[in-house]
Amino acid sequence: MKHLPRIDSKFIVIAISVLVLLYFIVFPMLILIYDSFVVDGAINFSNYKAVYSQNVNWKALVNTVELSLLVMVASVIITFPMAWLIGRTDLPWKRTFRTILVGSYMIPPYVGAIAWVQMLNPSVGYLNDLFKYIFHLSAAPFNIYTIGGLAWVLTLFYSPFAFITISRAMEKMDPTLEEAARVAGASPLRTLWDVTLPLMAPSIVAGGLLVFIAAGSAFGIPAIVGMPGNIEVMTTRIVTFVYMGDDKGIRDATALAVSLMIIANGLLFFMSWLLSRKDYTTISGKSTRPNMVELGKFKHLAFFVVAAYAFVAVILPIGSVVMTSFIKSMSKGLEWSNFGIDPWIPVITSAQYMESIGRSLVYGVIAACIGTVLAVFVAYLSVKTNITGRSLPDLLVVLGGSTPSIVIALALIITFSGNYGLNIYSSMWILIVGYLVKYMTMSVRTVAASLSQVHISLEEAALNSGASWIRTCKDIIIPLVMPSIVAGWFLIFMPSFYELTMSNLLYGADTKTIGVLLYELQTYADTQNASVLSVIILVIVLAGNLVLNKLTKGAVSI
Amino acid sequence: MSQVSIEHVYKRFGKVTAVGDFNLQVADGEFVSLLGPSGCGKTTTLRMVAGFERTTEGKIVIGERVVNNHEDGTFVPPEKRDIGMVFQSYAVWPHMTVFENVEYPLKIKKVDKAERDKKVQNILEMVHLGEYGERYPNQLSGGQQQRVALARALVANPSLLLLDEPLSNLDAKLRESMRFEISALQKRLGITVIYVTHDQSEAMTMSDRIVVMSAGVVQQIGKPYEIYTHPANKMVADFIGLVNFLPGVIKGDRAFLEGTENSFANEKNLTGNVTIAVRPENIKMSKTGGMIKGSMKHRFYLGDSVDYRVQVGEHVIRVIIKGIQYGTYADGETVYLDFDKVMLFNRE
Repeated sequence: MKHLPRIDSKFIVIAISVLVLLYFIVFPMLILIYDSFVVDGAINFSNYKAVYSQNVNWKALVNTVELSLLVMVASVIITFPMAWLIGRTDLPWKRTFRTILVGSYMIPPYVGAIAWVQMLNPSVGYLNDLFKYIFHLSAAPFNIYTIGGLAWVLTLFYSPFAFITISRAMEKMDPTLEEAARVAGASPLRTLWDVTLPLMAPSIVAGGLLVFIAAGSAFGIPAIVGMPGNIEVMTTRIVTFVYMGDDKGIRDATALAVSLMIIANGLLFFMSWLLSRKDYTTISGKSTRPNMVELGKFKHLAFFVVAAYAFVAVILPIGSVVMTSFIKSMSKGLEWSNFGIDPWIPVITSAQYMESIGRSLVYGVIAACIGTVLAVFVAYLSVKTNITGRSLPDLLVVLGGSTPSIVIALALIITFSGNYGLNIYSSMWILIVGYLVKYMTMSVRTVAASLSQVHISLEEAALNSGASWIRTCKDIIIPLVMPSIVAGWFLIFMPSFYELTMSNLLYGADTKTIGVLLYELQTYADTQNASVLSVIILVIVLAGNLVLNKLTKGAVSI
Repeated sequence: MSQVSIEHVYKRFGKVTAVGDFNLQVADGEFVSLLGPSGCGKTTTLRMVAGFERTTEGKIVIGERVVNNHEDGTFVPPEKRDIGMVFQSYAVWPHMTVFENVEYPLKIKKVDKAERDKKVQNILEMVHLGEYGERYPNQLSGGQQQRVALARALVANPSLLLLDEPLSNLDAKLRESMRFEISALQKRLGITVIYVTHDQSEAMTMSDRIVVMSAGVVQQIGKPYEIYTHPANKMVADFIGLVNFLPGVIKGDRAFLEGTENSFANEKNLTGNVTIAVRPENIKMSKTGGMIKGSMKHRFYLGDSVDYRVQVGEHVIRVIIKGIQYGTYADGETVYLDFDKVMLFNRE
């Protein structure tokens, strides 16, 4: 292969990249695991025994598993029928619903949590008040600060993982497989049951597991919705222990973090094995327009149900924070005179708030720039070369991305606060390293997917025309994959910009990010400033997505 | 077994007319091919017969039953049309064994297990897959998957078999042998078949009749021989087989090759400017003398024949001569051509 000019330079470059990735991704995790098992120089489980003998920690583990299961099952039950209705039937407004449901993925989960607390808290929740008024109830019908409330919010904000996975698989499935069942005499429902469902099973399980892992690793929603009701999960326990600040606290946190990591990474490993196991791809013919099942008399009912879900899942929470951000005084009711831009003025004029926003933007940009360069490199190595170990960097990046944020943060704290050479604790760099470890994988995937579309003959044609390898990169490869590089940049920038879980553990006195600030405002019950900031975040994320959509012509979005 | 009647069928997608005024009567046990370039509306027509598309206008009758009539809104969904269908992508379900795939239509019909087993085994043997029942599709070759699809389409004795470019994913040799296999199976079962293809030799060898389509419009319906020897228009002549087109002018009862004194009988009584068409294999070539004088431009050796290009005035005429030595004519040599079986068309 003549992709890189000299064989030795290839190995130097690959070695350096592997070393960097090992140092920032694998090394901290090994330290974390080591610390959790080694007490006073001996390997044992005493740490784990001590932690789980405390009822609150054991309860947190049980809560995490129960909640994640509940959210996983609920997500699959909700999203599979919706993916089918949107992908395979004559449901009106399909495209709009798809955009809304996929788009809910870009609302930061903690913003969703803030919104639902506003709507369903038992004392002054908007929806509770509304139900009390309509049905003449004396007490609020819903209390968000319960397991049920927590599961509800987690389901709404993590089910897009399942929806995206399932509807992508449905799009990729050859529609004639279903048509063959129809001509064989099966009704649309029978076809769904006998053909669609079994063929989709691996993707359904995969989507469900993604939701399970995401819900189990979530911090923002449980912290905002669960903690006020004294419902603890693994992530909130880990944060509590780290906040204690002493060695004991950190050690307890490591045991919990390693437990969480084993569950999450184990399941992800299982998932990728499951998806690679059976080859369901068949020879695809010419692209016929898939036959759309006619819903007939159920058309209106289906439309109503999907519309209601989209309204409740996306429109309602956004509406709630936007509305709250314009209420002059929370103590007064919802009347016209009580609305105005007054709550925005202290936020916009506050140096502290604006600095946080600026800081988050800067960290996001830095992380995205470094991450994109690395991602292009890692993707090129794994897709376009055949050097031994070419996919190792890719694998390391995937490992980082699949690890729960809270675990990454804890591992970085332990490793990079001076005990092992590098000390970046409390600096912006520890935040940026965290963002890179967690989010680079999406960027690598996007660039790799696009690079693998560039057929080798395109490069060879350029080399044949007399272009050097560097010139080929510049004239052929880079222009062809540019949209994916831009997309990859945004895929690191956006989640880094509004990141909460890692930032909450890693920020220092001068590095408070917008996510952390918002979380603090919410915990101090300053719901109005929290709403204003939420709206600002939503606007920036939305703008970012529009730019991304424009640049990639809709091929990639968050 | 049943006849099919397609009457004044239109299919429009928005402003685009995919199929316009399609009329066809398929007799019981007949094998009819829909032939045309891609995008000509043949697949859309087949999907309307199958029930995957509704007609925008018109009526489709299978056997005695109206399955689609836009006037009274009659529409029978695909599962109630009693048809078998083979798809281009085979559409063999990857999560079921060969046996389960073929058994499926009978299961839906609630045929009892013993009967089912017998029928499935029977049809599998008919398509030479008797030993493959327990296999999964991903353990089969493309040709074998094709046979599974065929067996599945036939197992429930449907009244009509639809085939949508079933052979286009197979390699050339297999394609040829499958043609004969499908033909033989069809004759044996006496089933009515509508077959969609863009491959003229497939249509020619297998069909009782061919429907040539272009741009959503039926150009000609006829037996393979009729379509080849008496194409209804330029499009059909061009699409089926090879043909030379030359400008001509009608004078009286003769069609004159433009700018020459050479003329042909004006059997169709055309007037004005016409196109004179002649197939390369219907041209005689000699060194000594003939109707039209030209000079040898290129020669392509094809093994069983030689494919020549002869310059005549400003036109290049293609001549194919079987069994002649490559060296018979030299480049640049003067040759004489005689046209036989000339066809005349109105010039558009």
